[in-house]
Amino acid sequence: MDLQAIKSIIERAYSEGRNRLLEPEAKQICKLAGLPVDDWHVAKTADEAVNYASRLGYPVVMKIVSPQVVHKSDVGGVMLNLDSEEKVRAAYSEILENVKAKVPEAEVKGILVERMAPPGIETIVGALKDPQFGPTIMFGLGGIFVEVFRDVSFRVAPLTEADALSMIREIKAYPVLAGARGKPPADIGALISTLVKTSQLVVAIPEIRELDFNPTIVYPSGARIVDARIILEKRS
Amino acid sequence: MNHPLTPLFQPKAVAIIGASHVPGKVGYAILENLVKGGYAGRIYPINPHAREILGLKVYPSILDVEDEVDLAVIAIPAGYVPDVLEQCGEKGVKVAAVISSGFSEVGNVELEEQLLEVARRYGIRILGPNMFGVVYSPSRLNANFGIGEVHPGKIAFITQSGALGAALAYWATAEKIGFSAIISVGNKADIDDAELLDYLAEDPNTRVVLTYMESVKDGRKFMKSAKECALKKPVIVMKAGRSAKGAEAVASHTGSLAGSDAIYDAAFKQCGVLRAITFIEAFDWAKVMAMQPPPRGKNTVIITNGGGLGVLATDACEDLGIPLPPVQEDLRRALKAILPPFASLKNPIDLTGQADEDLYYHSVKAVLEHPSVDNVITLQCETALAPILEVSKAILDAHKDANVEKPHLICVIGGLRAREAAHFLEEHSLPVYNAPERPVSALHAYMQWSRFTGLLSD
Repeated sequence: MDLQAIKSIIERAYSEGRNRLLEPEAKQICKLAGLPVDDWHVAKTADEAVNYASRLGYPVVMKIVSPQVVHKSDVGGVMLNLDSEEKVRAAYSEILENVKAKVPEAEVKGILVERMAPPGIETIVGALKDPQFGPTIMFGLGGIFVEVFRDVSFRVAPLTEADALSMIREIKAYPVLAGARGKPPADIGALISTLVKTSQLVVAIPEIRELDFNPTIVYPSGARIVDARIILEKRS
Repeated sequence: MNHPLTPLFQPKAVAIIGASHVPGKVGYAILENLVKGGYAGRIYPINPHAREILGLKVYPSILDVEDEVDLAVIAIPAGYVPDVLEQCGEKGVKVAAVISSGFSEVGNVELEEQLLEVARRYGIRILGPNMFGVVYSPSRLNANFGIGEVHPGKIAFITQSGALGAALAYWATAEKIGFSAIISVGNKADIDDAELLDYLAEDPNTRVVLTYMESVKDGRKFMKSAKECALKKPVIVMKAGRSAKGAEAVASHTGSLAGSDAIYDAAFKQCGVLRAITFIEAFDWAKVMAMQPPPRGKNTVIITNGGGLGVLATDACEDLGIPLPPVQEDLRRALKAILPPFASLKNPIDLTGQADEDLYYHSVKAVLEHPSVDNVITLQCETALAPILEVSKAILDAHKDANVEKPHLICVIGGLRAREAAHFLEEHSLPVYNAPERPVSALHAYMQWSRFTGLLSD
């Protein structure tokens, strides 16, 4: 884990008066912490976006990068499954228009371009600082499992691999990961590694107050953090 | 044991500051319990307005006592406590149990700080304030203003709640549950759960620790001590206040999903602490842990004289993942030779309603002795045919004669005679329950602990 580089990202955010990291910053921290994120680029023009898309390979996803936009999808700031240059170009201006209409004060830092993650099982990995116990880690399955059933498990960091495995097995939806209804089992080892590294990250960086890697998609082989949100302690 | 808390449990001399000659007063009740409890050390009642209470000479101040005093129990109005503690400091008191209330629990944080300041200056350790006292059976120390007669036993009970804790001590005693220690921690201004767990982990007179808590101040410290204690003996926690965290603003999805209770739950799991939801459950678990050896395997056999009772116990085992494997062939043959032809030799083994002392004796002994069996639950329905106390005696004899290190739990269903039988068996260290789910839940909790310590593997 490159602590110096992570700290400098955090210091930059603080110096700009932010305690919410932008998605590219959060993803950069993931990368520096050895967590599984795919490559991405932040485009400042439609041409740049097309350029990056062809370099990464279609289909791509495009997302608004702005400190004022917290819920990107809610304001039309996310476009999925763009499989051609035309669509990328169109998405670029559409996202800007949407955001301008919904959040007129938004300062746009650019538009993030990354490959569309192939479908897999959506999980959520989170961390939260508890007043009594300090940093804690959460795991659950995405979608209705977490939204409706609140089917999540927690552990106090730092996690051992055994802790990570036990929290994965603790959720009621575990059979989905183990390969229910003839589907191949998910890569539990990749999830364990993600949980343990997330735990190492929040233990090493006390400035992190909350984080969501939601979704973290897990495949029969490997896992990928598709969206990362990191919130820092407020600094006066 | 040379520990800073040793004077709390095994003091050489106790001063009761605020001792009263008025029955019904806290300062009288404590002194009375201490005297009647048979505490062997020296007792010094302190009260400037009395000369003699319960036949003991009363001193105007602790400074008037010529002897050394290592434990002071303080039951005077809160405002006077810091001054009196100052005198305790001069006297060389090691631990002060501050019964008095009127400190941080009513918002008087300053007075509590003042108390701690004096304590730190003299190196006195504080239990409380705002608590009902301390009991330690091995030294016959009963310095609490609640229950007078405590059954000696192997359960140490720590409680953050005063009234409920005191009431539970009465309740458990009526249930013939025995205690090694009862510790009311009150506001936990100084001595906290973690430090008590450190002490009790090493206490040879305690086999299981049961704690009622509403909060911990330092979660990490608690986890460390709880884990170390749990590796040596089971730690059961009743953590009240399970509702989700309210007002605190959260900005993430994770934050919205994390009630403080979920975190406590996780912390307990990580340090091997067994979390009980109800106090019935907590004491049910503590009872088997105090009386019986830990499970070293999962294979459990149920013996019953009632089919229905056996089915209920089987369902409970299934719910909790306790395996009830079929009875092995040689054991089947041995049982077949003694049981009536219509008895069922599956698991549960149904001795049928005709089972008498003899049948219970031989089957329980054979099952306990069989190497394929790790744990035994013996169920008994009160019937018109079998005298329940005689059957219970036969179960105890079988248990003694088998002489194996396997947990054995009993369930007796019936009326007043069943209660009599239960008390008889518990006096001989066989834990008895009055519903079939209860021994199953207790065995399950004990198995969890065995897994945590590595005695049992999956």
